[in-house]
Amino acid sequence: MEASFLEAVKVSLLSITVIFTVLIVLIFTIKLLVKMIPYVAPPAKAPHQQSTAQSSIGGQDEHIAAISATLTMHLGKSPDEFRIVNISKL
Amino acid sequence: MEFSFSASATKIITSTGFSNLEAGGMLMLVVACVMLYLAIWKKFEPLLLLPIGFGCLLANLPMSMMASTDAGGLLNFFYQGVKHEILPPLIFLGVGALTDFGPLLANPTTLLLGAAAQVGVYITLIGAVMLGFNMLEASAIGIIGGADGPTSIFIASKLAPHLLAPIAVAAYSYMALVPLIQPPIMKLLTTEKERKIKMAQLQPISQTVKIVFPVVVTIVCCLMLPGVTPLLGMLMLGNLFRESGVTARLHETAETHLINIVTILLALAVGSSMTAESFLRVETLKIIVLGLLAFSIATAGGVLFGKIMCKLTGGRVNPLIGSAGVSAVPMAARVSQKVGSEADSSNFLLMHAMGPNVAGVIGSAVAAGVFISLFGDMAVPEPHAALEGIIGTVEPGLTSAIAQVAGAMQP
Repeated sequence: MEASFLEAVKVSLLSITVIFTVLIVLIFTIKLLVKMIPYVAPPAKAPHQQSTAQSSIGGQDEHIAAISATLTMHLGKSPDEFRIVNISKL
Repeated sequence: MEFSFSASATKIITSTGFSNLEAGGMLMLVVACVMLYLAIWKKFEPLLLLPIGFGCLLANLPMSMMASTDAGGLLNFFYQGVKHEILPPLIFLGVGALTDFGPLLANPTTLLLGAAAQVGVYITLIGAVMLGFNMLEASAIGIIGGADGPTSIFIASKLAPHLLAPIAVAAYSYMALVPLIQPPIMKLLTTEKERKIKMAQLQPISQTVKIVFPVVVTIVCCLMLPGVTPLLGMLMLGNLFRESGVTARLHETAETHLINIVTILLALAVGSSMTAESFLRVETLKIIVLGLLAFSIATAGGVLFGKIMCKLTGGRVNPLIGSAGVSAVPMAARVSQKVGSEADSSNFLLMHAMGPNVAGVIGSAVAAGVFISLFGDMAVPEPHAALEGIIGTVEPGLTSAIAQVAGAMQP
């Protein structure tokens, strides 16, 4: 199948248009899904557990964020998949 | 039976690989050793380059029957998985099981960055046509710009099987070189101020959305582009294993053992197709150059579109995440993070870059689907196993293939 420059340009323009169309359809689909099914925060843990966790990590939000980001990169997991409950000095 | 020492010694000597080693084969052994060196000592995509390099080494040992074309040889059986488009979709199954679409769902407009990066595919296609490749070959070469090894192999085996080896090697080599190729382009196209832009925290996404997403994408995309179904369908199935929460064993298998086993089979099969006859050609050099062009333009396309999004959103999008639209998960996202943190050490772009990065996987799969829709019916028809015995191996090119089949059918 011989091809000319003009044909290649036509194919490219057509293809890139199709790609953008498909992905724009996906964008609106995702937006619709997210709107229809909003995020609901998981119920809070039992007061006893919460107070234990808070007492040990309270006031260290920046440290938790940094450790979470590092673990996310290192483990290749989403931050939702693990929870830091305690930080103690070595 | 009369035994002659000299005749037997001569027979043994002539039956060794050394006596059958030709210049092309020796050069390919050097190429294989270079690939092994890059994989082991330079850590260039070792999980792929090492088995590809060793497959190449085995295929070029004379009389070993290890080339992909050696019917009945071990690697010929592995190659059937490439030829019949089985292995690349299985890799996608594993990739889907490994991928978290959360960042993409939290910021779906980043899908546009995945689309913009595909511009590299089409500029390369035009370049390939200008260098004398036909449209099918140019499409297979262009898809290297999608920075997606399995997609490149899938399209090459479908549209230009005779170019599979150089295309696969170029795709994986440049994927390994993403940390070297992308940063200079990213820095050239962005200002210091743009690189320092901090993006807002991504919103959490409902688990139900994460479960519904792969099903919806499969239905929407595969209805629009049926050719993309093997790749996208498997990608989304793997992701459904991950997100559904009811198939922990399948998820674990897909993201570890299955993808590892298939990677070994696929890489060895690709390596076994790197024989002197198929690799030592002028076309290979052209493909290597075009592959670099594809990667560079894809990166530039993503970054430039990121700049447009930055302007349109009033500076809320860091253009550096655009380069991650080339796919190459997760290396391209890591490069965005690295370049961003070089400008401002407190800038964390990784999760933001994962959105366009997985969008790039979908984008390159869609680009492949478009090629299949346009040219799939013009590709070389694969002869049925029963026909192979009658007509032998079909030569590349539709006309010659038809002529061959027609000739074989003549009384």
